[in-house]
Amino acid sequence: MSDESVSQAAKPNEEYMQDLAPRPVESNSANSSDPSRTVIKVSDLTVGFGKTTIISGVNLMLTRGSIVALIGPTGSGKTTFLRSLNRMNDKVHGYFAGGSVLLGEQEVLTDRVDLLELRRRVGMLFQRPNPFPMSIRDNVLAGVKAHGLAKKSEHDQIVRETLERVGLWNAVSGRLHDSPFRLSGGQQQLLCLARSLAVQPEVLLLDEPTSALDPISVESVEKLLAELVSEITFIVVTHSLAQAKRISDHTMFFFDGHLKESGPTAQIFEDPRQPETQYYVSGRMG
Amino acid sequence: MKGKAALASDLARRTEEPQAPRVFRPTTKSPLGPVKIASTVSAVAPLLALLAILGILVHQALPAIKYNGLGFFVHNVWHPGNFYLQPVTTNGVLHPAQAEYGAWAIIAGTVLSSLIALVIALPASLGAALVISKLLGPRVRNALGVFLELLAGIPSVVFGLWGTLTIGPLLSRDIYPIVAKHMPDVIVLRWFRGSTGAGEGLLTSGIILAAMIIPIIASTSRDLFAQVPTLTEEGAEALGMTRMEVTTKVTVPWVSAGIIGATVLGLARALGETMAVAMVSGSVLGTLPTNIYSTFNTIAATIVTTLDSALIDGTGLAVRTLAEAALALMLVTLLANVGARLLVRKVSTTALPVGRGV
Repeated sequence: MSDESVSQAAKPNEEYMQDLAPRPVESNSANSSDPSRTVIKVSDLTVGFGKTTIISGVNLMLTRGSIVALIGPTGSGKTTFLRSLNRMNDKVHGYFAGGSVLLGEQEVLTDRVDLLELRRRVGMLFQRPNPFPMSIRDNVLAGVKAHGLAKKSEHDQIVRETLERVGLWNAVSGRLHDSPFRLSGGQQQLLCLARSLAVQPEVLLLDEPTSALDPISVESVEKLLAELVSEITFIVVTHSLAQAKRISDHTMFFFDGHLKESGPTAQIFEDPRQPETQYYVSGRMG
Repeated sequence: MKGKAALASDLARRTEEPQAPRVFRPTTKSPLGPVKIASTVSAVAPLLALLAILGILVHQALPAIKYNGLGFFVHNVWHPGNFYLQPVTTNGVLHPAQAEYGAWAIIAGTVLSSLIALVIALPASLGAALVISKLLGPRVRNALGVFLELLAGIPSVVFGLWGTLTIGPLLSRDIYPIVAKHMPDVIVLRWFRGSTGAGEGLLTSGIILAAMIIPIIASTSRDLFAQVPTLTEEGAEALGMTRMEVTTKVTVPWVSAGIIGATVLGLARALGETMAVAMVSGSVLGTLPTNIYSTFNTIAATIVTTLDSALIDGTGLAVRTLAEAALALMLVTLLANVGARLLVRKVSTTALPVGRGV
């Protein structure tokens, strides 16, 4: 069963890799890429809090249907960068951002953007499972209800489909009205993933999504990402180099607030151009 | 001979007893010492105190319970009887002639004034707690928190004085008449129509009580809201929920059991509040309120205002009736607590993270 799903899941990735092989993701060579496949385009992004600049001069372009891994030592600005994409830094005291983040045609870094709709389009999964204090069913539907995405008569179907998608249906179908806090940590994280998927996002930001999970749960989450990648672009912050190698098509290496190097995962790990990258991926740092 | 026997028994022990695998069970009993004695005493003390109070109260109230019967909880006549006539014995209880006691009006007054207070205080407290814990910066938050706790420390007689001298007259002059005039004549709202009185009454008491329990509910809820994990609230925000949705769907439900607890704490204070209500209730005995501005009385206020005259009753029935009223008050408070426990259980089973770290 696992062989089958892996090979199925691997297909879009391979296509994508071949498709993308001649062109790097950095916007320095943006003119060579096909704009219709661009999901997020970040130009010269600078982010800071108060008087401190956390990250500066980040450029990148992400195409539809890819998994991008963000690696780098703690404090290098990965999470700050990630949270800038769905404006989760907004309420942090003294937050400022410069440059531009384009989601499709929409500029994200402006007060004119509809924050709620932005966060529907750009979902987020956190370091630890964070189910809401409501039944399992209501957890799946929380976003759907908030955005008024479906009629009440369609809710049952959405719950079933979404839970089936994340492989949780068999485990919870008998207790949809129970508390989610009795599920295991891995199941809770899958439920949170289901909650994010239910609002049909274009991009999903994952902030060390498996750091609190056991290896078997990690495997099921990773498998899911591979299955869903044809519809959703994933940006994954991870401290596990092995995970970055396993799941991502592209890897971005952050160092000291800068995007030091970015490219196909194989190249970053096997043929890094920058000395810091080489040092980091060889396991001698972080 | 001796050595042979010893050898034999030694041999027998070795062959007959196959050694069981060693099992270590740690002793769970701690030795009896001063610490254990002290902690046992202090653990049992509250229970003993409660039982003692209940026991003495029941003992004191017993003649009144016998004499007043179930009518005590049903009718409203509050008449200590004629002290100048020869005392009479009924049901084995010596009592002044024509004495009659019915507490329905003061029980209803107690419950009604506390409910009015709760209706005002609960939304106000939750709003204040949410603003303080979620919207304000740390400096303002701490300053406001200090004021909230100071407010909780104001003596009730000060609230009572403020009610009779300032708020009561002000409300009855400028606010109540307007409300009474414009309130439609429909169910429930009908209660806001009619004579508005001089400022002493049910609504004024409810407002004063609300002011007294807001600090209790608000400061407890503020601490509760601060405990809601940021990660969970951020999850709701990242899903594209509005601030209102995050609050009503995640923040408040997360601590709903605690909020019920805080509310019961406030309710218990309102039910038992004596001085402030005695000063603004209008202290009328034996009549049910006809509208929300009516003068009325509560159990606690009745006890404190009639104790002096009750001591004049040579048969002791008046004092014993007050003891019975006190028992009724304890019963009402107990019922509120039991109701809250049931509510907490109901809320907890649906979704709350009970005893589980997230």
